[in-house]
Amino acid sequence: MCGIIGYVGSAERDAPDAIDVLLEGLSELEYRGYDSAGVALANGTLDVHKAEGELEALTSSLSTESLRDPAVGIGHTRWSTHGPPTDENAHPHTDAEGRVAVVHNGIIENYQTLRDELAADGVTFESQTDTEVVPHLIARSLESGDGDDGDERYDSADHKRAFRRAIDRLEGSYAIAAVFEGEETVYATRKDSPLVLGIDDSDGGAVATDGSDAVAATDGDGSTGYFLASDVPAFIEYTDRVVYLEDEEFVRLDATGWTVSDSDGVPLEKPVQTVDWDAEDTGKSGYDHYMLKEIHEQPSSLRQCLRGRVNELQGTVTLEELDALVDREFASPVRFVACGTSYHAARYGASLLQRRGTPATATIASEFTTDRVPVADGSLVVGITQSGETADTLRALREAQTAGATTLAVTNTVGSSAARAADHALYIRAGPEIGVAATKTFASQQLSVSLLSAALTDRASHEEVQSLRRVPDQVQTVLDTSNARAIAAELVGAGAFFFIGRGLNYPVALEGALKFKEITYEHAEGFAAGELKHGPLALVTEDTPVFAIVTGDGEVARKTISNIKEVEARDAPVVVVTDGVSDVERYADYVLEIPETDERAAAVLANVQLQLIAYWVAHEMGRSIDKPRNLAKSVTVE
Amino acid sequence: MTVRSAIVLAAGEGMRLRPLTRHRPKPMLPAATKPILEHVFDELIGAGIERLTVVVGYGRTAVQSHFGSTYRDVPIEYAIQDKQLGSAHALAAALPTADEPSLVVNGDQLIDASIVRDTIERHDESADGTIGVVAASDVTEYGGVIVDADGTVTELAENPTDERCYRLNAGVYVLEPTTIDIVTSVDSSEGEYSLPDGLSLLLERGETVNAVETEGMWIDATYPWDLLTVAETLFDTGTVESTVASTAQVHESATVREPAIVSPDCVIGPGAVVGPYASIGDNVTVGSNATVENSVLDSDTRIGSNATVLDCVTGRGVEIGPGSAVVGGRSDVRVGTAVHEGQRLGALLADRATDDGGVTYAPGTIVGSAVTIHAGRTVRGSIESDTEVR
Repeated sequence: MCGIIGYVGSAERDAPDAIDVLLEGLSELEYRGYDSAGVALANGTLDVHKAEGELEALTSSLSTESLRDPAVGIGHTRWSTHGPPTDENAHPHTDAEGRVAVVHNGIIENYQTLRDELAADGVTFESQTDTEVVPHLIARSLESGDGDDGDERYDSADHKRAFRRAIDRLEGSYAIAAVFEGEETVYATRKDSPLVLGIDDSDGGAVATDGSDAVAATDGDGSTGYFLASDVPAFIEYTDRVVYLEDEEFVRLDATGWTVSDSDGVPLEKPVQTVDWDAEDTGKSGYDHYMLKEIHEQPSSLRQCLRGRVNELQGTVTLEELDALVDREFASPVRFVACGTSYHAARYGASLLQRRGTPATATIASEFTTDRVPVADGSLVVGITQSGETADTLRALREAQTAGATTLAVTNTVGSSAARAADHALYIRAGPEIGVAATKTFASQQLSVSLLSAALTDRASHEEVQSLRRVPDQVQTVLDTSNARAIAAELVGAGAFFFIGRGLNYPVALEGALKFKEITYEHAEGFAAGELKHGPLALVTEDTPVFAIVTGDGEVARKTISNIKEVEARDAPVVVVTDGVSDVERYADYVLEIPETDERAAAVLANVQLQLIAYWVAHEMGRSIDKPRNLAKSVTVE
Repeated sequence: MTVRSAIVLAAGEGMRLRPLTRHRPKPMLPAATKPILEHVFDELIGAGIERLTVVVGYGRTAVQSHFGSTYRDVPIEYAIQDKQLGSAHALAAALPTADEPSLVVNGDQLIDASIVRDTIERHDESADGTIGVVAASDVTEYGGVIVDADGTVTELAENPTDERCYRLNAGVYVLEPTTIDIVTSVDSSEGEYSLPDGLSLLLERGETVNAVETEGMWIDATYPWDLLTVAETLFDTGTVESTVASTAQVHESATVREPAIVSPDCVIGPGAVVGPYASIGDNVTVGSNATVENSVLDSDTRIGSNATVLDCVTGRGVEIGPGSAVVGGRSDVRVGTAVHEGQRLGALLADRATDDGGVTYAPGTIVGSAVTIHAGRTVRGSIESDTEVR
């Protein structure tokens, strides 16, 4: 998983320099990977710069003054899959002669075969990456090209042909962009990896389709040019007009316009869409970290999630985009599939449905496909993925579709692969999330599956709608009054951290532990409270704080309190997250309070306290909170 | 001349507005339904400002989360003042960004674009600074400015009580970068580094400060009940317009009497009457047959069925139970040790105060944050935050 970007400046004099656009764009894509970065600029010759480490290392190694001229280039920020993060393994990769430079996101599954084949032809490889086969394949196609007039100089038609031929040989997933010596053009394509085209020209995006080189004419003022990126924030500063590319489509950008064609080279008419992300949403707005900013954005993102979907006067929940779905009967059970944090939202969703009497399961997406879980024809499979690009979840959805299930993607990203691959999409409307550790998107996923469970079972109530409408302000209350920072300071340095909860609070315990380990690098684990005595209790000592989530005063709360007593008997510091209804505070060393509400909403509020605990412990320990080691925001490899 | 940059001072709590300011600074309190600071930004942008630096401190997450990194496409930079030691100290936090003549304004007082425009227009390089002033009959609660016949400032005084002819300092300045350096170097007086003191220092050094008297609107909410008059003025001057948001659900048998604003996601139940002079914030619920008149209800407030709410100010997430009555009218209101006579305030309920229903509020009641009032009580006077009235 990596981030790629490409840029072609418009023919106007005041179009920005490619180097600026690329570096700014890469900084917005760092959440996709940040162990090395590089750029290639095309200005007759190719100029390639790359460096191990965060983008900062690349930026500081460049003397940007000398790179002012070129208006065309590609860039890459890397999260290692093949080969360690080193200068050599950083993208862009080139052929031996430096005629072509390539950036790639994804995994080329047959790269070993291709590498052996090229090596047999005498090609020497500079890196250990799968990507490097691509420039060498392109170079070989160039050299052996039909219609080569024997001239050493290759023209645009040669480049186009060679690029396509090389791509034809690849198996696996990829978004690839390339620039060539002698031509100020970017070539790109995708398969199972995201790639979006951004357009900032002056003509509203009309596309001419007069022959093989359909271009959108540009002649007005104020246009900056054409962009390609793994994700919209990379160029949102310049344009909100985008074209989502489908698998195996090819795109060619030059100063006069853009062309998209299918795998046979037939030009396609693509709709230009407008995205409603503000550049506003991508700054840190005075917070030290994106994660803290995003934690504080939860009241407003949850309002967005609910807007127009709940009606308190009638006590109903309406999900407009699922009108065609909610009235249908589905074969049992409803299956949720997801990974990581989204999997915890999936567990929460399955529990909610079960409570309403609808059989439901939640399965880790990679295990779902590995186990070949039997999917009943006519059943509903719900894939939850923030980015909409999570490879494991996409694969599970595709397999479920093949088996005859109706598929639903619950995602934050309009136009993402999951939204397009699934039969239906439910948007969580959380806005862009930059911190690698998911926070506001998890809260919005919780609320979205809550809405979904009500819509699917057609049974909301005034009380339920009322409690949903209270959630944004109750989250604000938690943010206004939390003492997590002080508690975090007391707990730093403990040996391990455990999180327990029952029922709807079990996924919260899992998520609390995941958040904690992601950004503090400390050992943290979440358990179903009832499982503690079946093994994990052996780990509990006076040096292992235990976080327990206890809400309400019912049987579930009382049982969890019994588990807390077991922990207390081992002298472990106990931190309870509670609404104060039960007497659990008597057994606690520390208390994180949440407002009193129903158990569904309480799970959303309790999680916010645990987000703050993870943040402040990591902060105290000086961790790289927005970019934890070895992790990437959305994982587009299986 | 043209001034593109503004430095907005929004770090102060506004202690006289307690308990409303428990979780947020005064600039984030509602003027009708929008924060005071949002009105200020609107007017600055209306006057041509293209770059905002906002000094934040007390309750700063409330500001940062509300506005983010841009407002109406104008980039916002945040400068953080960790301790609130006065307006000159706040301005010092913005020094690194003050690289050109800048407008400096208070983020907690309502101004209109004409004050800003007049001040910018009056300023020229020959002066080190320019102050916007307005005519006012009484400046004893505010800053006074003495202006001579040619429009230059001769003296500044805070809360002046003498009989001289003061103009009211509207808290709108244009300052040259070098001037900002000087005024922020002022010594503290009683632990406070104030901007008027900084400007006095400038005058002592013989520098020129011009004043421009403007006709523009200037309103300060000093005490909680002022939020009602602020909203009234905004309605009466047409600064805000009566609206019902498209995402609000208003029952067909409910009545909205203008002027009134019903914000997004609100629910107005059957038979309820909202207005006139009702400013209803985001996601507020007004129950069946309830009445809300001359009131400012901040976001997420819930008014129970059959409740009567007159001359009332609420913070966020307040719950007034079914059948409760805020009867409204004038009374003496006690704030700390001072008694303010004859103020029109039905009740003030700070963030997340709740009553269980059937509660009667005597005029002038001030209910602290997170107070719980049990059913059937009658309350008056001042109730401490986080307490319970049984």
